[in-house]
Amino acid sequence: MTSALPDLDQADVALAVTGDHAAFERLYRRHVPRVMSLARWLLDGGDADDAVQEVFIRVWQKLHTFAGQSSFGTWLHRVAVNLMLRLCKNLGLSRQRHAADPAELETISAPTERPDLRVAIERAVEQLPRGAREVFVLHDMEGYKHEEVAAMLEVDPGTSRSQLHRARMLLRQLLAT
Amino acid sequence: MPDLFTDQLSAYLDSELDELRRRRLETHLGECAECRAVLGDLRALIAAAPNYRGREPLRDLWPAIEAGLEELGILPITPAGPPAGPPTRFSWPQLIAASLLMAAIGGGAAWLALRGPSDRPAGATALAPDGPTIPRSIAYAEAQYDVAVADLTSIVEEGRSRLDTATVRVIDESLRKIDLALAEARAAIQRDSTNVYLNRQVAANMRRKLTLLRRAADAIART
Repeated sequence: MTSALPDLDQADVALAVTGDHAAFERLYRRHVPRVMSLARWLLDGGDADDAVQEVFIRVWQKLHTFAGQSSFGTWLHRVAVNLMLRLCKNLGLSRQRHAADPAELETISAPTERPDLRVAIERAVEQLPRGAREVFVLHDMEGYKHEEVAAMLEVDPGTSRSQLHRARMLLRQLLAT
Repeated sequence: MPDLFTDQLSAYLDSELDELRRRRLETHLGECAECRAVLGDLRALIAAAPNYRGREPLRDLWPAIEAGLEELGILPITPAGPPAGPPTRFSWPQLIAASLLMAAIGGGAAWLALRGPSDRPAGATALAPDGPTIPRSIAYAEAQYDVAVADLTSIVEEGRSRLDTATVRVIDESLRKIDLALAEARAAIQRDSTNVYLNRQVAANMRRKLTLLRRAADAIART
């Protein structure tokens, strides 16, 4: 993300909050790739399109509450993560996924290409077991603390820590050439 | 590469090891090239992870999002076609523009506070007698809005006898609620002139009033 983006975001948020939907569309186009990836990782891809649509509708509704204390992107991702985890909960996805499953790990295969590390990580994350993936996405990609991750996923902070280490080691393995 | 140390690498990178374990691990790292290599890989991974680019959706989701906003009635600006129904003095886009601009002036300096000085076109401002400097286009829109509302109100008043009583009752009640909401929002703006939410509320209610009057005029024209 370039440093010019927050300035563009700031200008477009100011316009969008007065009802300028062209400005809001610019915000959407600028941020939708990362929100879409979040949806794919947190929702296993199933309802990603619907979730992304709902995120942006929710963001429009809540835009007047955005105080500008963080960047728009950070705020947007908080809204997105909260909504997606709530969707997971509503869908009744089991917390059992946080238990280590050796058989699941066997199904992981190494990525075939590695254009650069960031892209390679994005692809490899999709191959992580669900529990490890959620913690890695929330902690390392979205910047939440273990206590926050634990509260969001309704697990112990210790589980969050162990899943994070597991995710990182698996990713290292996946990214090894 | 003993597992005891490997398992501590993540916590080490996150500064979550206590002093004793940190020193033991660092001593080990000084002796173990394999653990140092793992540490380097994890460090690179952690540094790169927040900067993910993301992937575009397979289809453009914006039309569906826009439709969702319109369905909820919370999209302030809608693509406007040519006006249908009885003739009015102003086009529909002009009325929308007027309502948006009026919303800005309704909050005093709110609009100006939102837009930086560089956004204002040269010569586009006029000095209000007792208030902030306001763009001429907004003052013009205010006049347009007032005339448009008066124009449509006149059409509705003249033709209301041609509508059934239930419809008239709905129109009157809706107008009463909108005017009340407008008055409340305007009063709140007097206490908090830079509140963006309140300005949006005013804009939304002004648009509702225009839409309602327009629909009522359309209904009268069809009788």
